[in-house]
Amino acid sequence: MQSNLKPAKTIPTVSVQSLTGCAGELLVILENLQKMLPYVRLQSFPFAQSTNNNGPVDITFIEGSVSNPHDLEKLKGLRERSKRIVAVGNCAVWGCVQKGACSRMAVEEMRKKVYGELSSFAVMPASRLEDHVRVDVKLSGCPIDSTQLLAVTASLLKDHLPYVTQKPVCLECKLRENPCILIEQDLPCLGPVTAAGCGALCPSVGAPCYGCWGPSEEPQIDAMAHVLMEKGFTLTDILNRLQAFGAPPELFSRLNQLQDLAQQANTGK
Amino acid sequence: MTEKERKVVQIPEITRVEGHSAVAIEIEDGVVTDVKLDVFEGTRFFEQIVLGHKFDELPHITSRVCAICSTGHVLAAIFAVERIFGFAPQPQELMLRELMHLGMIIESHATHICALALPDFLKTPDLVSFATEHKDEFLIWTKLRALGAAVQTLVGGRPFHPVNLHVGGVSKIPDYASLRSLKKDLLDSLQLSITLAELVLTFEPPVRRLTEPEFLCLIPKDKHYGYFGDVIKSTEGWERSIQEYQSYLLEEVVAYSHAKRSTVAGKPIMVGSMARLAMFSDRLEGEAANLYKGSPLAKGDHNTIWNNAAQAIEVVQAIQRAAALVDEIVSIKRKDIPLSARDALKPVAGRGAGAVECPRGTLYHFYEVDEKHSIVKADMITPSAQNTARIELDIKEVVASNAGGDTLMPNLETLVRAYDPCNTCATHMVSVNNKSKIKGDQCSAT
Repeated sequence: MQSNLKPAKTIPTVSVQSLTGCAGELLVILENLQKMLPYVRLQSFPFAQSTNNNGPVDITFIEGSVSNPHDLEKLKGLRERSKRIVAVGNCAVWGCVQKGACSRMAVEEMRKKVYGELSSFAVMPASRLEDHVRVDVKLSGCPIDSTQLLAVTASLLKDHLPYVTQKPVCLECKLRENPCILIEQDLPCLGPVTAAGCGALCPSVGAPCYGCWGPSEEPQIDAMAHVLMEKGFTLTDILNRLQAFGAPPELFSRLNQLQDLAQQANTGK
Repeated sequence: MTEKERKVVQIPEITRVEGHSAVAIEIEDGVVTDVKLDVFEGTRFFEQIVLGHKFDELPHITSRVCAICSTGHVLAAIFAVERIFGFAPQPQELMLRELMHLGMIIESHATHICALALPDFLKTPDLVSFATEHKDEFLIWTKLRALGAAVQTLVGGRPFHPVNLHVGGVSKIPDYASLRSLKKDLLDSLQLSITLAELVLTFEPPVRRLTEPEFLCLIPKDKHYGYFGDVIKSTEGWERSIQEYQSYLLEEVVAYSHAKRSTVAGKPIMVGSMARLAMFSDRLEGEAANLYKGSPLAKGDHNTIWNNAAQAIEVVQAIQRAAALVDEIVSIKRKDIPLSARDALKPVAGRGAGAVECPRGTLYHFYEVDEKHSIVKADMITPSAQNTARIELDIKEVVASNAGGDTLMPNLETLVRAYDPCNTCATHMVSVNNKSKIKGDQCSAT
């Protein structure tokens, strides 16, 4: 390896790819492209240009979840050809709302309900990139934050894996000196268990955080559920809200046990 | 016996559209026998995803169907639920929603025209050559895109996936000083949008479809060129309430694609900017009206490619209207009500549809809410699903009337792009790869 102190001989190449999602991260990358282009060579971006090179590349940004065999095949190919993979957006990092639904319902059931019992096409439960391949950097958000995107890119250009904060939204909310809408308005704010990075957007407009950046580090799910139950929300409602944006089912094992117990008690009566 | 000469022409992946799609054209003895637009964007089953969630969560979830038209998916859901609840928002609330929607129209149209459609006409193969060899056009796009994003950020809290729009109203009325400064930005950008429209109008369509489409769109409730309404109207002369959408729109699933397609009485339809202009161009104002009058559209030329120009004219109109709306909004005395104190909103069980004119055409949402205020049934019909059958017919007509040659395939891509197809929207739920056709009832989510 050459010393990092020497100027790079070649301009690093970048590829922007999408799997199953809303294409939002593509828009965020597109709007920041002018700032990135002096430092990188755009090798592939099928959403925004027709001439694309699918050879080996330094950094691949991938948005979207793995939701079908085509996504999986594409992801594996991208992994083989990419030095670094950055999962961008909630879909790629957590699986977003499609994963949230797959945590509550069997994907085959969803298919049957929509197409009837006779439908036979293959379905895959929505999953994260890291469920299938090694992911070098996870940058969540729905959509991702431009400042974080540029910081991550700058780090990678120096061949350095960046730190991306996963502290709770409450931290950013306090910095903005917002009144707490969970305590003062009894609104179901998920800020205490949701990763920050957005700047506490929802509470700053007087609305409860709904968890679109995925779970924070070490989320205190049971305590969050306890607070919401005290405010009159049912366990089912709480589980639906907490899981909506793709938080992994293993975070909810105790809550699910609790719900099973409650259901058994109900049917036992 | 001689075998018929049979060939299949394919565009394996159409670039510069939202999501993933391909085209396969079957030609037998020089005659087009079949055209298939295959949308292979992954499926997410949104009508299932929303089930069990409370009405207040709904707009945040439907927003994720599509980023660039997230405001449309949020508003359609809000309109449907407010109809079920019998809730009528305050006039200022409606103005804020319209302003937000115009922000989406500006951002989405500018992105489509400049970044997705324009490179075909400027002959730029990639973004770098676009940005360096056509600096003026690239600048128009970045400025207009930023303007649309600024409108949506001020009203909705971020450029897409808004956090400030809710059933019952915004949680925070934007700061009036910021709104006034936004008005200045809007007026400063008006000339850019006019320049863009003039540029797009100089591009001669490279191909031509043979038949006139049936256009469908919502008729705006007020007198303005708008995007919200309860009644759908067709250029064939009929009109219906959107609550009856299932009686005129047939949604069908086809074996080869992940996207549904909708037809009216078995015939393809076209929705979007061109449909709106065909229906109420007399509501255009100022420069937008002038541009329209001088365009081929005003002479009844409905070549698909002119949809790019129709969008450009709508951007001019949207900027003018948004500036006027700001004046109306700030003329009303501010009255902030916390989200937890919305007594006027009384949730009840029921069912109903909501619709908006998205950048690409009419978007329908339908919901049933139970007595616990949870969503128990859902249906969404997107503009792209409504345009798909017409895209296939257009391709068929163009191939049939074209001698072929090297330009045919790129021209077909240009044609498909003019529709601004949004495959992330079109496949909000559907995935099929079995051989036989599945029709109507079996696949309907409602």
